[in-house]
Amino acid sequence: MRPRGSGLIGPVLALLIWAATILAASATAASHEHPPPLVLAPGYADLQFTPPAPGSYALPPLGDAADGAAIDSAGRATSLHTLSGDKIVLLSFIYTRCSDVNGCPLATFVMKGVQNRLLADPALTDQVRLLSFSFDPDYDTPAVLARYAEHFRAPDFDWRFLTTRSAEALAPTLDAYGQWVVRDVDEHGTYLGTVSHLLRVYLIDRERRIRNIYSTSFLHADTVANDIRTLLSAPREPS
Amino acid sequence: MIAPIRPVWFLLACLLCTPSLADETCMSPYMAKIVGQEDFVYIWTLGVAGVGDGQDKLVTVDVNPASPDYGKVVASLSVGGRHEAHHSGLTDDRRYLWASGLDTSHIFVFDIHSDPAKPRLHKTIDDFVAVSGGVVGPHTSYALPGRMLLTGLSNNRDHGGRTALVEYTNDGSFVATHWMPTDDNLQGAVKSGSYADGYGYDARALPRRNVLISSSFTGWINYMMNMGQMMADAEAMKRFGNTVVVWDLHARQPKKILDVPGAPLEIRCAWGGRHDYCFTTTALTSKIWLIYEDADGEWQAKAVADIGDASKIPLPVDISIAADDSLLWVNTWNDGLTRLFDISNPHAPVQVMEQRIGEQVNMVSQSWDGKRVYYTSSLLANWDKTQPAGPDLQYFKLYDWDGKALKPKFAIDFFAAGLGAPHQMRFGAYGLYGLKRPESAGIAATR
Repeated sequence: MRPRGSGLIGPVLALLIWAATILAASATAASHEHPPPLVLAPGYADLQFTPPAPGSYALPPLGDAADGAAIDSAGRATSLHTLSGDKIVLLSFIYTRCSDVNGCPLATFVMKGVQNRLLADPALTDQVRLLSFSFDPDYDTPAVLARYAEHFRAPDFDWRFLTTRSAEALAPTLDAYGQWVVRDVDEHGTYLGTVSHLLRVYLIDRERRIRNIYSTSFLHADTVANDIRTLLSAPREPS
Repeated sequence: MIAPIRPVWFLLACLLCTPSLADETCMSPYMAKIVGQEDFVYIWTLGVAGVGDGQDKLVTVDVNPASPDYGKVVASLSVGGRHEAHHSGLTDDRRYLWASGLDTSHIFVFDIHSDPAKPRLHKTIDDFVAVSGGVVGPHTSYALPGRMLLTGLSNNRDHGGRTALVEYTNDGSFVATHWMPTDDNLQGAVKSGSYADGYGYDARALPRRNVLISSSFTGWINYMMNMGQMMADAEAMKRFGNTVVVWDLHARQPKKILDVPGAPLEIRCAWGGRHDYCFTTTALTSKIWLIYEDADGEWQAKAVADIGDASKIPLPVDISIAADDSLLWVNTWNDGLTRLFDISNPHAPVQVMEQRIGEQVNMVSQSWDGKRVYYTSSLLANWDKTQPAGPDLQYFKLYDWDGKALKPKFAIDFFAAGLGAPHQMRFGAYGLYGLKRPESAGIAATR
């Protein structure tokens, strides 16, 4: 028999509370335009199928993972290449004001699930780094990201929350990853504080190559964890 | 008056797609969607000798009733030569349209986001056969996250029907080739019936079930042959696909080969969160087939309805499933009919209406709300009818569907307009890219 999903899980509510708090503080939110609630993405429930066993399938490279300037939640300058190469990296592009439960909150929820799975497997815990990269540098300052991180990051786990100094500094990174975003405006051209985008999460190997890309329908902590195990099961290529 | 797509609405309703949402043209369930009025239809059009410049081209028609160019061709972009233009598909972010040629195996990637009214050729992939390891005839371009999955129809060894799925990144870099399972090499798949032919045609995914479904048609030798000649050739008529393959989507590995005899073509999967099934139709046996997951989690195939009188060879071609999984449009090319089936019970579809669209009818695409239904006529260069000449031979037509009948809104005679033979349609909209329609006067007069 195939498994069937369970209902809402506590952390989803935490994400929604975070988003609601942020939006309540935003004078530009346009709550009257929100459509009816959507069906939750598969990543919030138990996996609806038995995934292929780690190492039983290939994850062919999807191109080089680009570099990009960033600052971390402590305000220190860094870059994507500084934060990759030594570990497998799971990179999501998010913004903390994102109010759609199947968007950025899903990415953060799944990354927390991946974190939990890695913590449960000591052989994997130190092999992976999680990166949550904001594409809303105007709002997502290092201080905002630090507060956001407190809700999700386990103590001492290698999960970095990144932003940039400006939209101009961010643009080359988004372009290199094909992460298309559009700032939402009203009929007068006023920024609404939300950003239209297609959710993407990238799995990057230790050779800084993209090995999988997940979007809303595909993102689940179990399959991501299996992909990580698949990468780790293969011998590392000489650099 | 058509309401514009509002940015915030679009963010929530379209870009962050959940599996329960429907698609306006039967594309990837996770792709950005147009839930309101589409602005443009992009028509991948086969070049015809003596018609205009004779080249394959991407034709853009303005279909927004609020536009002064409503019903007009606003752009026509020729790609040089004839490649057997056939199918096309959008990337997951909907910024690019991939359109391929079944004869030359060239793939043309169009930028449709910079100016949705005037696509431009962004890239041409001309080494598909070489990099794929001998796959010929790229057909379906199906969006996966950050990449495109192309189905092949043939191969360069014997130009028969054995073929593969080929994967590219969105920027056009080759990723991998996944060959169809055959009797010679089942690749771990279970052969559940009599066939393991290795043929290919269309593909659709149900990510929530980790399933990819592929269908099967025929190879280059047949699809480039004159139709009358082929149908008179008993050996040629044996070279059609009889299988649907169920794949492990995540692993890209074939799991089960199902017998679906008679060339199963388009695959359309249901949208409902618990609707674990897809439909296909068989061109040669004129039946609707249901590909479904049974109560034990096993994927099965069964014929669930006849499409017209098979002895008269109606030749089912394109199909289109409604957003709520209640209705299925089925075109039969040979008699020019579109038929509507009630599929509320997917195991027992019932035809509820039929209407003649033209001398021949191939592709059908419907809007998100099902109120607008678009049709084109062309099948293949060497299979298309050439008589009787007139506006019902090679056309693009729009109808309004009121729940009872199709009411014509406009039609474009693609021969009279010097364009060619229209095939696959894909929708475009300014709102997808945070753009507004220019307030200047009509585009058609200036392009």
